[in-house]
Amino acid sequence: MSSVGGTPLFLLEFGDIVMYFSPYTTSLFILALVFTCIVILSRPENQLDIIFGSDGYYTKETEVEELRFRRFMSIACGLACLGATVTGDVFDFTLFVSLVGITNVGIVAAVRSRHVQNAAFQYGIVALAGTVPLFGGAAIVAATNGTLSMIELSARTMSGVPLIAKALLTLGVMGEGMAPFYAAKAEMFRAPGAPYVIMCSLSSLLIFLRVVEVIITM
Amino acid sequence: MWEEYSIGLLGVLLCGVIAFVALAIEKDDLHRLLLIDLVEIPSLGIVALLATDLAEALILPGLVVGIAELLALSQIYLVKEGLKEQPEGRLHIEVIEYADAPLILSLFLVVYGIILSGFTGGGVAGLGVVFYFMSRGYKEDLSLLEAAAGISWAIWIVSFFVFMFLPQYWLLAVFGAGGGILLKVIAKMSLVGTMWGRSHE
Repeated sequence: MSSVGGTPLFLLEFGDIVMYFSPYTTSLFILALVFTCIVILSRPENQLDIIFGSDGYYTKETEVEELRFRRFMSIACGLACLGATVTGDVFDFTLFVSLVGITNVGIVAAVRSRHVQNAAFQYGIVALAGTVPLFGGAAIVAATNGTLSMIELSARTMSGVPLIAKALLTLGVMGEGMAPFYAAKAEMFRAPGAPYVIMCSLSSLLIFLRVVEVIITM
Repeated sequence: MWEEYSIGLLGVLLCGVIAFVALAIEKDDLHRLLLIDLVEIPSLGIVALLATDLAEALILPGLVVGIAELLALSQIYLVKEGLKEQPEGRLHIEVIEYADAPLILSLFLVVYGIILSGFTGGGVAGLGVVFYFMSRGYKEDLSLLEAAAGISWAIWIVSFFVFMFLPQYWLLAVFGAGGGILLKVIAKMSLVGTMWGRSHE
């Protein structure tokens, strides 16, 4: 198999679901792994707000319980990213991507602020709506090719995957990885707890990068 | 065959478009939460159109993901609207609260579920347990039930690893997976039936 991501260096088989580590997916995998470790090890910071026109500042206190939940969600998000970056099965990929979507909602929704929760709710609706094109795309791939394995799909000389399936898959990933676009809702990202919110952006970036490879390989 | 598939796909996509239009028009958050469940169904429909055993295997995770997101969203909705506790609107009906009928009915469901085994059996048996808890207004510590759900889930996963790496012990794995998923679905459904609205005290 030679694809846009390079020749796989290593195949990990779970039954008929094969994880493949090509140079491209391996680098994404390592990035996700490193950031998951950072999330596990780092200590969250208190957010400081400077009082304008003076030397004074005040810190925002965050409950330990809230931070613990957000750390758990970030780690879960990191694990979902690890799966999404290396899996060699289209449906498996969609499941990991929707897991990324759920955990992103969880990271944001733990913040006890009405504005943030409103944003999280809207984002959650987008993420849930995103599963329709996501699963739809994967199902059409299976219907037209009879297989979901990316290795088998890439081995075919004539690509049998219709354009609509690729479009739906991309649309679905955009829906699930929508979190950074809610950066416009500044409250969501001004929420205290340093490394955790970044996990939203990073996971979206990783799944966007991966879906490009998936689409071109098929 | 392709013609039928295309017609079915067209129908499902039409349903999806209708649901999305409804979602775009609706402004109330609670109604959108309900509509999003409706949107979820066409995605399962597209998978179901495959009409092979692969489709059966794909629908289950799709359904689970949908339900998980829906539960998470409704939890966010509860917190964001500040809805703390369900209003105590219980009807005090003697037959349900003190008679033996709910016990017998739920016992029947549980026994039938165990006979069915697997995911379906778990659903049926879980329904029985939910019905019993609802009729008796069960209020106790549920950590034991949660632990049971976790352990049975672990059994299920271990059985899958046996399938993959030690295929010669497949019979053991079948029993492990069937029993594990049965226990897990029972426990999870009864948790949904009893813990709803009480987790944010």
